[in-house]
Amino acid sequence: MEETALRVTKLRKSYGEVHAVDGVSFAVPVGRVFTLLGPNGAGKTTTLEILEGIRDADEGEIEVLGRRVRRIDRATKERMGVLLQEGNFEPYLRVREVFSLFASFFRSARSPAEMLKAVALEDKAGAFVKTLSGGQKQRLAIGVALINDPELVFLDEPTTGLDPQARHNIWSIVSNLTASSKTVILTTHYMEEAESLAQKVCIMDHGKVIAEGTPRELTSGLGQDTIVEFVVPEDTEFPTAVTARCALVLGEGGLVSTKTSDLAPTLGCLLDWSRSSGVPLAEMAVRQPNLEDVFLSLTGRRLRS
Amino acid sequence: MNGILHLARTQLVTALRERITLFWFLIFPVFLLALMGFIFTNVGKTQDLTFEVTIVNLDRGTRGGSFGASVVETFRELATSSAPGHPSLFRLHEPEAGNDPHGYLADEIAALRIGKRAAVIVIPEDFSESLYAAAAGPKSADAPATLVTVHTSGGRTSSEMALGVIEQVVARVDQEILAKLGLFDAARAVTVDQQLIGAESQTFAYIDFLVPGVVVMGFFVAGLFSVPGTILFGRESRVLRRYWVTPLSVPRFLVGFSLGHLALCGVQFACVWILGRFAFGAHVKLFQPLAIAYLVLAIVTFLAIGFLVAALARTPGAGMAIANIINMPLMFLGGLFFPTGAMPPALRAIMLTNPVTYIADGLRASVGVSPSAYGHAASIGVPLAWILGCAVVAAFRLKWDVGR
Repeated sequence: MEETALRVTKLRKSYGEVHAVDGVSFAVPVGRVFTLLGPNGAGKTTTLEILEGIRDADEGEIEVLGRRVRRIDRATKERMGVLLQEGNFEPYLRVREVFSLFASFFRSARSPAEMLKAVALEDKAGAFVKTLSGGQKQRLAIGVALINDPELVFLDEPTTGLDPQARHNIWSIVSNLTASSKTVILTTHYMEEAESLAQKVCIMDHGKVIAEGTPRELTSGLGQDTIVEFVVPEDTEFPTAVTARCALVLGEGGLVSTKTSDLAPTLGCLLDWSRSSGVPLAEMAVRQPNLEDVFLSLTGRRLRS
Repeated sequence: MNGILHLARTQLVTALRERITLFWFLIFPVFLLALMGFIFTNVGKTQDLTFEVTIVNLDRGTRGGSFGASVVETFRELATSSAPGHPSLFRLHEPEAGNDPHGYLADEIAALRIGKRAAVIVIPEDFSESLYAAAAGPKSADAPATLVTVHTSGGRTSSEMALGVIEQVVARVDQEILAKLGLFDAARAVTVDQQLIGAESQTFAYIDFLVPGVVVMGFFVAGLFSVPGTILFGRESRVLRRYWVTPLSVPRFLVGFSLGHLALCGVQFACVWILGRFAFGAHVKLFQPLAIAYLVLAIVTFLAIGFLVAALARTPGAGMAIANIINMPLMFLGGLFFPTGAMPPALRAIMLTNPVTYIADGLRASVGVSPSAYGHAASIGVPLAWILGCAVVAAFRLKWDVGR
């Protein structure tokens, strides 16, 4: 049986009538990347803030690193690292000073020089935080989260707002963490990030867990169907002849998707209609189902809608 | 302990690196001291202030003599006597023998209006008669002092300062007159004697009055603006939240933050003191136990007021607005830069509940610049009450994280 780094049971947190976290339960095996996936407002960040010790849960049980705790205490924080979704550093501190400051809060910590190298910020060691780019700030934040060489790392939307290059840099750092047997709890609303990094995914919506498993387990639940996607003008109306043969789902910006187990007839139908109506099928793509499709099939909405 | 010291260092270095903070907490107090020092002192020659004062004695006298002449004589003594190396407290202007005193008075009032005189003292014609009448009748022993009229120029600093000094001189003369009239009160005489400004050196060195005021002002501004600025900005921008996900607790943060603030005030104090001492020749002895105790009391009081502001405000903008509202009355009605003379009751009420008043008064008394108007018990007790009140409010209201 796998050892568990974190177990959450029936966690609840409400703000007045709003149930931000509504009976969430999951378990995270040691040394794995566990991803909480869901749209904005799904309850991911509130769940994480409870587990990071920023907020108290109204109800529920938390067992973290072998200890059952009512709220996250100092001893637990010594063994945890946290990358906040929204968090800043003193703008007039130098990068090296930030590492020194945060290292001083822990009984045992890695040296600033070691962390500068780990997050590739050696050439920025003497730079003020306010002069760093978004990607550099995020690498600094990850370095700070890892300064105490934690067993359990929380990364709350680590790549939101970053360019593709910076995003891949962060993914590389996260991959290295699992190679060194760290347990990572990651939240994201980028399905490709979850698919790329996670060994286990928990999909949340409206404060509840609506699906849980490995990415393969979740997508295989959709069967062997293939997804066809294309873009048409937003006011386009499809004739019954087409909608009767293809179950079209209309999204924002004229994005249309359909799921099919028999690709050739579906494509033929769509192309015939395009030719006869004169409506081009722009950006057409044929692909296998992903986590976004899982979310779509579970909720009828897209992750980023 | 390591984390606390790192936090203190962070608080200090970030304040010194940020231009706005640097300006308001270091450059502004130094600039203010330099500006006021240049205006009110004569750099390189003397550091003392001499008031241009006119005295017109209209007293007709009585058969028993003229008390008006006694008053004039006292001011003449002050105008001619001074400690070695210091100018006299007053440069006295009087009508020459044979001149019409009323015409001279009119000219001097005109001189006062254009700033050539700090004050014009008029001893009325019935001055001696009134005093004898007061001695014979059941009137209060305090009555004679009210007979002297002092004309000052409204709003002019030198006039307000001169008035404060003149009131004390007149009180001393009053004591001498009371003695002559057989109404001498030894306890009152001693008190009046101690209230003479510049009692230590018999001169009024404005820079010695100013340096403690600017030091306290610097601490006040630092506490009032730096504390809510750091806490509210840190809360809103989630700088503080970064701390709360580490083992750092709020009490340890508070100790580190306060130590850093103390260090910042120490740097501020050093800059003001060095400028006052070496550029303007201030002799004020701030390095003595009681003075240091008042300085620490000032820092802690204003730190507490800063936490109160942070507790009352939801955003950094609101915090700065509250700080600005508090800043004006407390700073300008605290006697930091000038002696607080007679004030309307409403302003006097603010002055008497203002911790700045007591700290400035106690600090100046502790270094011998001026006697304490309130006594050390009040000068320490009132700020301590403020600290306690602010701490209680902050403990219940201050939020350390957004939505926490």
